[in-house]
Amino acid sequence: MTQSSIYAPEFARLVDVRPLTELEKLFTIELPNGRSLGHDPGQFVMVSIPGVGEAPISITSSPSRSNGTFELCVRRVGDVTSALHRMEPGDYVGIRGPFGHGFPIEQMRGKDLLFAPGGLGLAPLRSLINQVLDERGSFGRVIILYGAKRPAELLFRDELEEWAARDDVEFHVTVDRGDETWDGHVGVITTLFPLITVDPRNTVAITCGPPIMYRFVIMEMLGKGIPETQIYLSLERRMKCGVGKCGHCQINDLYCCKDGPVFTYAQIKNVPEAL
Amino acid sequence: MRLRILPKEEVPRMVQALMADYRVVGPKAKGPKFVFEPITDPSEIRLDYNITILPPKVALQPPQERVARINLEGEVPQPEPLIEAEPTVIFGAHTCDVHALRLLDRAFTADYPDSHYLERRRQTLVISLECLEPCDEHSFCKDMGTLTADEGYDLHLTDIGDAYTVHVGTEAGEAALEKYATTRAATDEDMRRLNEVLSAKWPRFTHRLNFDAAELPSLLATAYDHPIWAELGERCLSCGSCTNVCPTCYCFNMLDTISLTLKEALRIRRWDSCQLDEFARVAGGENFREARAARQRHRFFRKGKWLRERFDTTGCVGCGRCIRACLVNINIVEVFNTIHGSA
Amino acid sequence: MAGNKSQGAKSQGAKSQGKVKVAFFDFACCEGCQLTVIDSLQTHLDLLEAVEIVNFREASSEGRQDYQIAFVEGSITREQDEERLRRIREQADILVALGACAHTAGVNALKNLKPLDEVRQYVYGEHADWYDTYPARPISAVVEVDAFIPGCPIDREEFVEVVKALLVGKKPPIPDYPVCVECKLKGNVCVFHVGKVCMGPVTRAGCGAICPTYGDGCEGCRGLIPNPNENAMEEVLDEAGLTLDEIMDRFTMFNAYRELEAGE
Repeated sequence: MTQSSIYAPEFARLVDVRPLTELEKLFTIELPNGRSLGHDPGQFVMVSIPGVGEAPISITSSPSRSNGTFELCVRRVGDVTSALHRMEPGDYVGIRGPFGHGFPIEQMRGKDLLFAPGGLGLAPLRSLINQVLDERGSFGRVIILYGAKRPAELLFRDELEEWAARDDVEFHVTVDRGDETWDGHVGVITTLFPLITVDPRNTVAITCGPPIMYRFVIMEMLGKGIPETQIYLSLERRMKCGVGKCGHCQINDLYCCKDGPVFTYAQIKNVPEAL
Repeated sequence: MRLRILPKEEVPRMVQALMADYRVVGPKAKGPKFVFEPITDPSEIRLDYNITILPPKVALQPPQERVARINLEGEVPQPEPLIEAEPTVIFGAHTCDVHALRLLDRAFTADYPDSHYLERRRQTLVISLECLEPCDEHSFCKDMGTLTADEGYDLHLTDIGDAYTVHVGTEAGEAALEKYATTRAATDEDMRRLNEVLSAKWPRFTHRLNFDAAELPSLLATAYDHPIWAELGERCLSCGSCTNVCPTCYCFNMLDTISLTLKEALRIRRWDSCQLDEFARVAGGENFREARAARQRHRFFRKGKWLRERFDTTGCVGCGRCIRACLVNINIVEVFNTIHGSA
Repeated sequence: MAGNKSQGAKSQGAKSQGKVKVAFFDFACCEGCQLTVIDSLQTHLDLLEAVEIVNFREASSEGRQDYQIAFVEGSITREQDEERLRRIREQADILVALGACAHTAGVNALKNLKPLDEVRQYVYGEHADWYDTYPARPISAVVEVDAFIPGCPIDREEFVEVVKALLVGKKPPIPDYPVCVECKLKGNVCVFHVGKVCMGPVTRAGCGAICPTYGDGCEGCRGLIPNPNENAMEEVLDEAGLTLDEIMDRFTMFNAYRELEAGE
């Protein structure tokens, strides 16, 4: 008797591979039979390369722009991501998912949205940002504060320019260290917060970035008076199953893969291992 | 529920009959200890065993298994799930280990059913055995409420001298009993002896926790920053033995390997341990439980609080295997008592 | 990964560019690990389908220098070894330390515990002056090493797994956890429970816990795990009745180089 397994991937074709920075590439992936991934912004997939391994990667494309494909923005850090970076259009990768709880977009409608991604943290937030922009009329203000270490590490530069050019997006970008190509803001992401004012009760704040960043960004958000229940963050953990069993992603009693990866600050503020 | 009587001399015949249709996994001697392993001859079964090194969980979640094969010969890789299941009888499980199966059943069923575990479970009959004596000084089943079981088995045996009484737990158990064993109906005398051995057993087991185990979740809720974790972190070798011998631990790793010809890849699942250095480290290098103290705390919170809250059944069954396996004498009973004492 | 000139000899999904060329070299060692390699060639016939051996003194007279992967067995014990090792490093895309002597300096480093003159006198007697030697070191003390295969000798299956990993361009799957893990997964009786001592709790796994499986304590030939709790291990050995000297012997049998480095 043949049974299905939640651990067996299905194979999807790379239709496009585009370098974004020295370390990050954007992969456009097509599931078999033109099937849509059917994800929510903030969810992730488990990506595998046969014989190499498997890693959780957040989905960076918006469900509103699927065209039968989805996008992953992948930094080259380990075996799986290095192998992925060596692949070309036409090659196949294993996909399981989408998994996890994403951003509750329905609860965000009508609200002002404050996005504060840091570095690669833009990848999962871009999924939500683009969905919001595609349904721009059903949200209030859209504020994006984006920080990266160096100008060369800024992701999706064409889209950043688009956001900056829009009248209905308040976009601010900063780098920790500038260079000769950079005439913009210099400083860590928290230095962008004084540039904006928000109506705290009507604002939902969303952040994702390296572990060290959360405490400081959340402090800024709380400082603006945004309630803990309206601050969303996406966490990264090691995952081997993606479905709440293997134990690797456990943050005290929470499973990052299943209960998250998107949490409200209220959910995790008393979970000591979360931040 | 009907009570049947299985004379002791019938046991080898029953095992032999079962072996024709099932993989029979039972307690066998290994040096001075016991293990649950496939039985190749009925005489190997040692129903007088005290405790096994690994729990009978090995029959349902083996230490290592293949979960998928991927054929790489064509242009598109072809995945094939591998469900390594076969009809199995777990023969002679103690009730602590039966209680542990309830937790595993819930963990592997929740949200995304794990077809590998569940298919093995579906094909497995559990024949359990009532404990009449404590296995040694480390068990604390009486505290954890696992000294007997009302469910979770297909058949349950109790030694009444020259025979076992057989409680039938399920229809599958009843059918197996009819097909594979020669039993007779219980007489009044059998019932009298059963009552006698059951009344006699309880005083032999002592309470070792200084408090009611139902208090564990609330007790631990106040103990996150207890100094005992740092102390355990100093002592702990991070060898993973405590979790690897635990009947309610089910964490695992996934390994991907490939043939030398690069034509076939395999996904392999292997037990993993939250006590190991690398368990919570992400590819970028960050380790979310780097300190041994944090890893020890994680284990005790899982056993005493988190698993119970998530799956509504005990996360520790009091078998004491982790205590026996620990070379630096980390003792779960002492840890819980210390926390209780300072609460 | 240090000194990694390429991301792997051949990437998964890439078009085949012919077999990967590998070579074997040795320094101070017993060549037992290379014997294990020869052994693995008999049990895993696909190995020679996957790679081409262009230099392997112990197995063939061919000695080509166009290799991509170099497996180096043995410790470095003389000044002049360094030059030869550097040349190998120069040529190889991937350099793998093969076995304990190359990986940790293994038993060769036992001599480091004694004065060099005394060691030379003991080994070479009246001809001591003829022979050059210095304290034994792992090859990583001289050149950057991309991967290592621990053990005295190496484990045959692990060698094959490392070759596979290099073929698909991933870090070889050498465990970072201790021998106890493999021992427990096998359902072994803990040798401490039958009155023996074992270095398994702090020694790197990957051998399948072969010594405890056959009833002997682990000698620690695969080197220590990252972040071992050495204090706790010493207490375990102390409780098992070992004297301080005996405990020291256990820690230095295969790990003298590390212990001396740590002590400095």
